[in-house]
Amino acid sequence: MSAVRKVAIVAGATTPFGVRPTTWSEMAQEVGAALFRAEPELRSEDVDSLFVGAAEPERFAFQTHVAPLAAEQMGLAPHRIIQRTELACASGQSAIRSAYAAIAAGLSDVAVAVGIEKMNLPSMAEANTAMGCVMDRAWDGPHGATAPPFFAMVAQRHMLEYGTTEEQMAAVSAKNHRFANTNPHAQFYSKTFDTAKLARLPMVAPPLRLGDCSSMTDGAAAVVLAAEDHVSRYTDAPAWIRGSGQYSDFHNLAHAGSLTDWKGLTRATHEALASAKLTIHDIDVAELHDCFSISEIVEYEAMGWCPPGAGGKFALDGRSDIGGDVVVNPRGGLLGCGHPLGATGIAQAVEIFQQLSHDVPPARQAPDPRYGLVHNLSGSANVHSIMIYEGGGAG
Amino acid sequence: MSASTKMPRSSAPKPRPRELPQTDGRESGKATSPPEKTRRAASTPFLLDFVPLQAPDQTRLAQFYERLKEGHLSTTRCRNCGAIHWPPRVACPDCHAEDLEWIDLPSTGRIYAFSAVLAGAPLGMESEVPFAVGLVDLEGAPLRVFGRIDGRPWNELKIGDTVRVESLTLPDGRVFYRFHTPE
Repeated sequence: MSAVRKVAIVAGATTPFGVRPTTWSEMAQEVGAALFRAEPELRSEDVDSLFVGAAEPERFAFQTHVAPLAAEQMGLAPHRIIQRTELACASGQSAIRSAYAAIAAGLSDVAVAVGIEKMNLPSMAEANTAMGCVMDRAWDGPHGATAPPFFAMVAQRHMLEYGTTEEQMAAVSAKNHRFANTNPHAQFYSKTFDTAKLARLPMVAPPLRLGDCSSMTDGAAAVVLAAEDHVSRYTDAPAWIRGSGQYSDFHNLAHAGSLTDWKGLTRATHEALASAKLTIHDIDVAELHDCFSISEIVEYEAMGWCPPGAGGKFALDGRSDIGGDVVVNPRGGLLGCGHPLGATGIAQAVEIFQQLSHDVPPARQAPDPRYGLVHNLSGSANVHSIMIYEGGGAG
Repeated sequence: MSASTKMPRSSAPKPRPRELPQTDGRESGKATSPPEKTRRAASTPFLLDFVPLQAPDQTRLAQFYERLKEGHLSTTRCRNCGAIHWPPRVACPDCHAEDLEWIDLPSTGRIYAFSAVLAGAPLGMESEVPFAVGLVDLEGAPLRVFGRIDGRPWNELKIGDTVRVESLTLPDGRVFYRFHTPE
């Protein structure tokens, strides 16, 4: 085995996210077309491997064996590695990490990681049932557990222990919705939500209101990853993978510990930062998994941007906005873009790639970023996955 | 796995059996399934139904459901290392032994955290909205259990409230547990 090779993202694209009049397979075609449009130097025969992030196509699209289907729909014929990666809401980053591992190990030179999810069905009770299957179906599912009540309990405990307020949670949502207004592919691109409007939205799972929760969304996203000696064929502004970390804490809801101390995220962050030889304060722009407003608040704390309990104030004071300590979720986050499970982790990486190459609208461009981070979590904060990227020609 | 060891029980009354209304929208379950069996007609779909199959030919944890029918919430304890599991298991996650015994659990606990499902319920549960769910620390056992909380409405619950374990019977004979606030 040769030495570990450097790997970079060299291209990326997304479809529009939203309630889409289109199928899983059609979105695979759309994102393939978008990817080849975004990178004119990319040829189908270059792509030796394909990793497909898809959480629940069996449930949402009545389709399994999706990796070769996606390849065919995208116009690819992988000849080294082709597989699906399933990690619920973090299936997308799982595809990227698998592609990274394959390329670093020398088993692939140029790989596509794609995420596709179709979630909106004529019967949303069917879709909600699929979301229930993310939980421990035998013990949590029969009680009606899906993500909102779990994260609502996180919010309840955070409010009790630290005095976090609905206003602070709304500040997260308002920021991410404002950024989504700069992103034509975001589900809520054309909808404005300020904190006053968010406070009037109905409760979904108290204390979480509709605007505190990401949506059921149809969408797809793809990136091209290349080995160091293949990067320059595509771009002079790659996003180099500098670090990576992952930690799995628990699955059954009864094992969620205090709810407010996400130890698994802290460990995954330390691992990623150590592998990148950086501290959290080196990160200029971050895509954090804001499946719920409270999630982003807990993430600021667990990842080390502020002490435990200070996350609400961190948001309200603008420290996660442009001009703050770190720009968080400039594409609009899951709250503003929607959350097509398998596509989210890839779309987060597309944003960091474009942020590092100054290829986003000025209203959401982080000032001259060098390091970008993606955090993608799954289920009830069961698995935390982190990637750290460095921009420029620093390969 | 036949020996039963009783945990110290609180003085609260033991869980009460209660009939659960048909919630899965299936008609065939009523007519074709004898109440004492969990085996279902071959044509009855079960993959969209969260309540597990409970018969001994479907799960090695059938005794959990048998004990629940008698009104007891139970779990497994490892005979090798003493670990008490939740949910019950067939192999110990701490020492990896497979020699486990059944123990009954306390029938009361206190709410650690709760919320309510006001929208977005899975199939078969839409008509039960709104319903409360929560994490409950069992009295006198080192276990936290997640479950539905019936009784008082969600907006009258408080962290620390005492709730009681309750067993429920589905029309097809399967059972499950929930929590219930005191009357």
